[in-house]
Amino acid sequence: MKNLNLESELTYAEAIYKCMNFALESSSETILIGQGIGDSKGIFGTTSGLLNKFGKKRVIETPIAEEMMTGFALGASVNGLYPIMTHIRADFSLVAMNQIVNLFAKYQYMFGGQFQPSGLIRMIIGRGWGQGAQHAQSPHSLFSHVPGIRVIMPCSVDSVIENYQYEINNKSRLVISFEHRNLYDISFKLGANLGNYLKGSTVQRTGKDLTIVATSIMVLESIRAAEFLDVHYGISVEVVDLTSPSHPDYKLIFESVSKTGKLIVADTSWAPYGVGAEIARIICQTDPSILKSPIGVVSMEHTPCPTGKTLEDLFYPSVRNLVMLALKVCGKKLEKLPEGDSYRDFYRKFKGPF
Amino acid sequence: MIDSLKILEKAYFIRRVEEKLIEIYPTDLIQSPLHLSIGQESLAVGVCSNLNINDQLFTTYRSHAYYLAKGGNLNAFMAELMGRKNGCCKGKGGSMHLADSSVNFMGTSAIVGSTLPHAVGAAYANLIHNKSNLVVCVIGDGAADTGIYHESLNFAALHNLPVVFVIEDNDLAVHSTKQERQSFDLEKHAKMYGFLTYSLDDTQNPEKVSKFMKDVYLQGKTRKKPAWVKLKTFRYKEHVGVLDDFEIGYRQKSDYLAWLAKDPLIYEKFKANIIMEIDFVIEQAIKFAKNSPFPDPVELYTDVIQ
Repeated sequence: MKNLNLESELTYAEAIYKCMNFALESSSETILIGQGIGDSKGIFGTTSGLLNKFGKKRVIETPIAEEMMTGFALGASVNGLYPIMTHIRADFSLVAMNQIVNLFAKYQYMFGGQFQPSGLIRMIIGRGWGQGAQHAQSPHSLFSHVPGIRVIMPCSVDSVIENYQYEINNKSRLVISFEHRNLYDISFKLGANLGNYLKGSTVQRTGKDLTIVATSIMVLESIRAAEFLDVHYGISVEVVDLTSPSHPDYKLIFESVSKTGKLIVADTSWAPYGVGAEIARIICQTDPSILKSPIGVVSMEHTPCPTGKTLEDLFYPSVRNLVMLALKVCGKKLEKLPEGDSYRDFYRKFKGPF
Repeated sequence: MIDSLKILEKAYFIRRVEEKLIEIYPTDLIQSPLHLSIGQESLAVGVCSNLNINDQLFTTYRSHAYYLAKGGNLNAFMAELMGRKNGCCKGKGGSMHLADSSVNFMGTSAIVGSTLPHAVGAAYANLIHNKSNLVVCVIGDGAADTGIYHESLNFAALHNLPVVFVIEDNDLAVHSTKQERQSFDLEKHAKMYGFLTYSLDDTQNPEKVSKFMKDVYLQGKTRKKPAWVKLKTFRYKEHVGVLDDFEIGYRQKSDYLAWLAKDPLIYEKFKANIIMEIDFVIEQAIKFAKNSPFPDPVELYTDVIQ
């Protein structure tokens, strides 16, 4: 097992770049596939320079053929290569649904284990600066529904490093990783919670009054809300990072909610049939009596994402929504809300274009 | 025994297997859809007779003939069709998802056109690994309707991959003819990408197909280009199932009879001892399959990627 050497603080995008470089450097079997991975922008810096460094045979700038290239990745993997594929927007992966769902996820099973294809598919969730209906979806629940796929949503540099390093070294399964575009430029200190990201769920902040189970960037929003609730209302919030929506640590989640008796799910996608529904299933199938009040779900509004800014702001949940919902779940009266909108301010500052 | 058969006999052996399946299908020993290769056996034998064990073959849900022609195990085939533990895919694949990795008969799929990119990716890996193995992908003319067909042709030609696409042209996608589905000429279209293209219409005789394919493979190898082949053929039975369906009216029985008149895989044309030997092997395989246990319940959960 090889390991990455890293400095103590780096951005999410830098961490991904280091992993991509590490993947190509540590194994001659690894190939990178995707639209835009070889161009000057290099997927927001995460693949910059790799084409020149490792050559066009291993860093493949592809035609606009998502479905074919996914099948290509499967075939290449069956013959010993380890493909890392990138969709610069998660929305584009829907074109490849057939190969992902009907083929890749089933290839080991259908043929009785004769083949063990593996690969990492990176999908970037867009948000802000008018990404609109087809550049801002977060379809992790769709893929988590299907057996045979491991879906992860790294919310920090630690999570990126630990998950990617593991997959790159082991090459043992199909993993779809959702990277949030708005995490890319955020700096993280390394090592705070290392060693916990392969378990599917990890506690990012301990608390005793309320559990928030969150995905991707909503983990960061939840931590902000938790700090505010602690200072202004004396509510102690436990934040569980759902690193893998497809393979959650059921026990960890159940134990956290057992302790707090209250649950909010904060997700980057829509609520119906989504992460909130699944976490509720986990609790209700095990012991619904642990809940002291109805659960809350923070999600995108159940509409396509509008492009214009005012509507876009209404579409996405903010830290204020989280705080208000937490007060409702905890039966407390609203007295004070956070100044500004936390990450919504960040999204406002995000000047795209992409 | 199968391996020692001559080309014509091998094709007839596959015909006998299919005929046997037709015979036993009403017993419900096989409880899943069957897409029979009957009528198209000569292509499978012709395509495979020039391949060695390391060459990889990707095909479709209509793949009984290719599985057997590539050297796939007959006992494991029968057991697979009957959903048994000793099946080539442990009873989880069945007729539409046959595979035998030991002879490089790769995973088959019931989604039309979906194995094309697998062949492209596999050929790409061979190129990276400097392996001289050939990758062959067999599809029907219906697959040429799909977008992934175009995408696969484009990439294979763009990167000059060591791959051969074989179109089994039975003119049908389930019940609709090419004329109803395609605005373009298949061969011209493939040539336009830069493929070496070939086509053969009289394919009833597997020896003829074999000779033809030998040349195709050789040209592809020496000229270092991907090759595209169209082999005309005739699907004798309904799209799925074991029955004739001429009464539906989407095709003419007279066309079938004209094709059949040139078909050498006829009972009367083979020596009695050969037929006896073939039938014995098939009976043994059926016995093997019937005696195979069903999969352990735990198999339901194995091989799901976690």
